[in-house]
Amino acid sequence: MSTDTTSPDFKSVITPPPADSLILEARGVSFFYGTHQALFGVDMPVRKNAITALIGPSGCGKSTLLRIFNRIYDLYPGQHAEGEILLDGENILAPRVDVTALRARVGMVFQKPTPFPMSIYDNVAYGVRLHQSKSKSEMDELVETSLRRAALWDEVKDKLHKSGLGLSGGQQQRLCVARGIAVNPEILLLDEPASALDPVSTAKLEDTLEELKRDYTIVIVTHNLQQAARLSDYTGFMFLGKMIEFGPTEELFVKPKVDKTGDYIGGRFG
Amino acid sequence: MSEEKILHKSDPFDPVFRYVAFAAATLLMAVLGGIVVSLLIGGWPALSKFGLNFFISTTWNPVTDVYGGAGPIVGTIVSSLLALAMALPIAIGIAVFLTQFAPKFISQPLSIAVELLAGIPSIVYGMCGLFVLAPVFAAKVQLPLVMALSNNPDSFWAKLVYGVPNGANIFTASLILAIMILPYMSAVFRELFRSIPPQVREAAFGVGATPFEVITGVIIPYVKKGMVGVVMLGLGRALGETMAVTFIIGNSHGFPKSLFDSGSTIASTIANEFNEASGLHTSALLALGLVLFLITFAVLALARALLSSQRY
Repeated sequence: MSTDTTSPDFKSVITPPPADSLILEARGVSFFYGTHQALFGVDMPVRKNAITALIGPSGCGKSTLLRIFNRIYDLYPGQHAEGEILLDGENILAPRVDVTALRARVGMVFQKPTPFPMSIYDNVAYGVRLHQSKSKSEMDELVETSLRRAALWDEVKDKLHKSGLGLSGGQQQRLCVARGIAVNPEILLLDEPASALDPVSTAKLEDTLEELKRDYTIVIVTHNLQQAARLSDYTGFMFLGKMIEFGPTEELFVKPKVDKTGDYIGGRFG
Repeated sequence: MSEEKILHKSDPFDPVFRYVAFAAATLLMAVLGGIVVSLLIGGWPALSKFGLNFFISTTWNPVTDVYGGAGPIVGTIVSSLLALAMALPIAIGIAVFLTQFAPKFISQPLSIAVELLAGIPSIVYGMCGLFVLAPVFAAKVQLPLVMALSNNPDSFWAKLVYGVPNGANIFTASLILAIMILPYMSAVFRELFRSIPPQVREAAFGVGATPFEVITGVIIPYVKKGMVGVVMLGLGRALGETMAVTFIIGNSHGFPKSLFDSGSTIASTIANEFNEASGLHTSALLALGLVLFLITFAVLALARALLSSQRY
């Protein structure tokens, strides 16, 4: 089977999870940086309480797709998305959506650690304080749970009131995960979260994500194919702004249905 | 052969170059030291004659040859701090708008306009202050305020606006100073805000913060120390500004009694009197110069320390 992925009438090959297990679904999403089109009618189903990985060569649009899910692109005038993205049946691309509330439901962790210039405790509490008022003891408890879940608690419990900027890169990244889950989002988006980390920190972060999927839905963009293979339940392969193939991770890695996917996974380009 | 060349690369010009660079650096230190020493020697007769009184007395009388510099010293500090208080919120507002809100087609021309403001010579500011701002200020602000408060001349507000209504006073001088340090401060604030990685801003929005919460909770704290440094540099500029202030501060020695009273600064006093000074009078002016140098040096040193401890 040969498929020309660059032709305009190319059809994505999608093996979706059971329809009733979806939490988020992108339908025919296109994205524009000004006049430059970066995504072309992308479909992507996201299963609840699972880890979905996005892979593909640099510039294929996987980070762009991720940034649409919490509409962070709204910060930049000139960027806009078309199509629909359903979150629990509601189209989040609709103009009337409250993006602040959306971002509390769909959290994001970035490629580089982004601790805020405040104490470790305040970093975790920051997002929570924006949305709800809690008593001191409730907040203490929430900060501790979040840091435990991000597998950081033991390393920082004695210095909660020291600056978050003083932590190592790996610790900072887990701090950002803790900050992200403290606001109790439904979905956590991770944009190459391990690319700036050493192998030990990466392993810790992966364990954390494995743990977190019981309560959250995770979408992760990664350059590391092994990471996608060992961590995710579903994988989407993107190329030149299109979703080439999407399906259960084992199927996609072992028996890809599109030649291009096999070529990329086999290291024949990328 | 070629390996040998690389290992033993030497350039006869190298030592010469090193000495030239060293000489340039030494020259700078010599000039700095020379200025301090000549100010000290020149100002010493006045400093030794009046002692502490030079700093706390407001009597500045060339006729009787008695010199107390408290008036100009306080005037310098007060006018600079007032200017800073006026310029700071506006400079932050400009920088926040330019980096956080303005679309490119607005932010670029606005940035250029801010830089142009910095290019206006200080004497032009002084003239505009004296010929345009002062009369308007006297007629539209000072006089109405004094009239409105005249039935209760002992109240705090009446005392605050007391003064000859000619528009040449501490307040208008501070206003001109504020306009002069504004472009510099907003330009450096803008650079500070730009130095913040965009991901940090996105992360703050990413947990569901509003633009106001992002700016006050994350953006400004991120560069807090740097901002204090910039404030100090702005203050340093305001302290030493001469021409514009000399035009519009009113040039009276002694303490300014109110916000709208005339006063003087160290720089304006020196500029006004150096021409006719001789003997002890010259020495007193040099001593004032030394004081100004020390104040400015302290402020700039503090700014340096704060800016260099800013880590991103």
